[in-house]
Amino acid sequence: MRRRLLCAAADLALIAYFVFALFPVAWMVVLSLKPTNELFSTYFSFTPTLDSYRTVLGAGDDQGVPFLRFFVNSLVVSLGAVALSLVIGLPAAYAAARWRFRGSENLMFTLLSFRFAPELTVIIPLFVLYQQLGLFDSYVGMVWVLQLVTLPLIVWIMRSYFSDLSPELEQAALLDGYTRKQAFFRVALPLVKPGIAAVSLLAFIFAWNNFVFPLILTSSNAQTVTVGALSFLGGDRPKYNLTAAAALVSVVPPLLLALTIQRYLVRGLSFGAVKS
Amino acid sequence: MTELALRALRKTYTGRGRAAVEAVRSIDVELSSGELLGLLGPSGCGKSTTLRMIAGLETVTGGDILIGGSSVVALPARQRNIGVAFENYALYPPLTVAENLGFGLAARGGCGRAEIRRRVAEMAERIGITGLLDARPAGLSSGQKQRVALARALIRVPDVLLLDEPLSHLDAAQRDTTRRELKRIQRDSGHTAILVTHDQEEALSLADRIAVMRDGEIQQLGAPEEIYDSPANLFVADFVGEPAINLLPGTADGPGGVRLSDSVRVPVPHRIPAGRAVVLGIRPEDLCLDDTGARARVTAHEPLLESGIATLSLDGVAKPLVVVTGPEVRLDRGDTVRITADPQHIHVFDAQTGDALR
Repeated sequence: MRRRLLCAAADLALIAYFVFALFPVAWMVVLSLKPTNELFSTYFSFTPTLDSYRTVLGAGDDQGVPFLRFFVNSLVVSLGAVALSLVIGLPAAYAAARWRFRGSENLMFTLLSFRFAPELTVIIPLFVLYQQLGLFDSYVGMVWVLQLVTLPLIVWIMRSYFSDLSPELEQAALLDGYTRKQAFFRVALPLVKPGIAAVSLLAFIFAWNNFVFPLILTSSNAQTVTVGALSFLGGDRPKYNLTAAAALVSVVPPLLLALTIQRYLVRGLSFGAVKS
Repeated sequence: MTELALRALRKTYTGRGRAAVEAVRSIDVELSSGELLGLLGPSGCGKSTTLRMIAGLETVTGGDILIGGSSVVALPARQRNIGVAFENYALYPPLTVAENLGFGLAARGGCGRAEIRRRVAEMAERIGITGLLDARPAGLSSGQKQRVALARALIRVPDVLLLDEPLSHLDAAQRDTTRRELKRIQRDSGHTAILVTHDQEEALSLADRIAVMRDGEIQQLGAPEEIYDSPANLFVADFVGEPAINLLPGTADGPGGVRLSDSVRVPVPHRIPAGRAVVLGIRPEDLCLDDTGARARVTAHEPLLESGIATLSLDGVAKPLVVVTGPEVRLDRGDTVRITADPQHIHVFDAQTGDALR
């Protein structure tokens, strides 16, 4: 009886937390469904409408905000950043896991420090640099600067995946006639696929959600959804319903990605936890 | 089949700001074709480093490695044609046993699919793993994994076979059967082989010759019975033998005798100058209880099935004496017994250098 009560109490507490945690999201959904003239009403009664979504997706009155373009920009920039980080980061992570060389730990720490240094500390010099190099408001510039976000993540996480692989697997391959390069591509890399999937998703979300870099380093060409969603707040009247709809639309790609690679994700997160 | 020679082989690890570590100091060994050499020693003695240098997984600081008379030191691992059965088996988890075996053949090229399938089947037959070909490594027992690892090392028909602690992860029952299998397979295939182990039983039962290593140097190289019957120094005497040899410090008192205490004098066949500090080495199985020998008090007795192990204390001798007794012997703590040892089986070592006196 006591046990049951405890269980029920725990369930209640969890439900309470669930409501608490999801409230902002629910609020956004409500906001996005409100018509513009009822936006600021405090009573919970309105005629739900999908007008906000139509506007955001370009079907309605587009308010001069090319949201779809921002959306495409976000996709290009985030996917580009993750792809570049994988190309550079996987060999780097492998090398860091397998060899200790002079300054290797310092190098790894420097990389990590990109993650915990506030972006705002470097943004002004970066802005000046980008202006002079002609990278301001360009895809290349955004992919490049997002390496600060995605590369450390990929290198550090993949390093531990590679460390968990027994080096004898590659050594056996070397004895079997593989070169070092082949051993990396054909033996080590396929074994860390779940890790690559998990870390790519994580890096993609971080890149997608980044706000400061596109805010300062882009204007109209390469602007992303995080900054773009705010455009609806400008003008004579802030249109919170449009911002909410834009934010909800921009959740879709990371969500879809997470769902498609969920299978890998679970394996990826538990990989290495069990030693054979 | 091919012979293997190690000439003054050395490996020194240099770390920045740290003293250089001499993992392997100078190893000289020649293996005739088809011979199995056991590298035996405690962990950190350089035996695995030696193995890895032969395989080409570790660079060589000095000296030479010759396979079939030609130096392989400059060759990368893939060109040395060496098969290694790794301690942790190193089987590729996503592949089946058959694919694991075929992996090496495919890597080298020059082998068609049909040819690979044929050789895999043939090797599986020889090692006795035909029933496992479709299984994945995760589903195999340690003993089965060890066989698959061995099959993978052998399938390429290497010039030299290296076995790294092949039995260390097996339980007692599997160890016995796998050991016999290993011996049979190596004999049948006629491969020149090196076995690295810290387990003396493994080395004594499998190897044609054993090199006992410590601190990167070979302490003694010889046939198993030679290592056991006439250890070259205190380290070898102490390391080989189970239960461990009794090592008793004493002083030579004229030729033919060593005094362990005021009341205990042991006759030895060696001629040692009087007054020299020595250590006597007597194996527990070379001591026997009888009515004539030195008096000793029993401090413990463990009767086992086919023999017993008694711990005795000799008058005035600080170190306890371990004796293997017959199965029918029953001793109690505090009993007094008399023991003797055949002088021919007593080893005498110099107390300073640790070297055996002959």
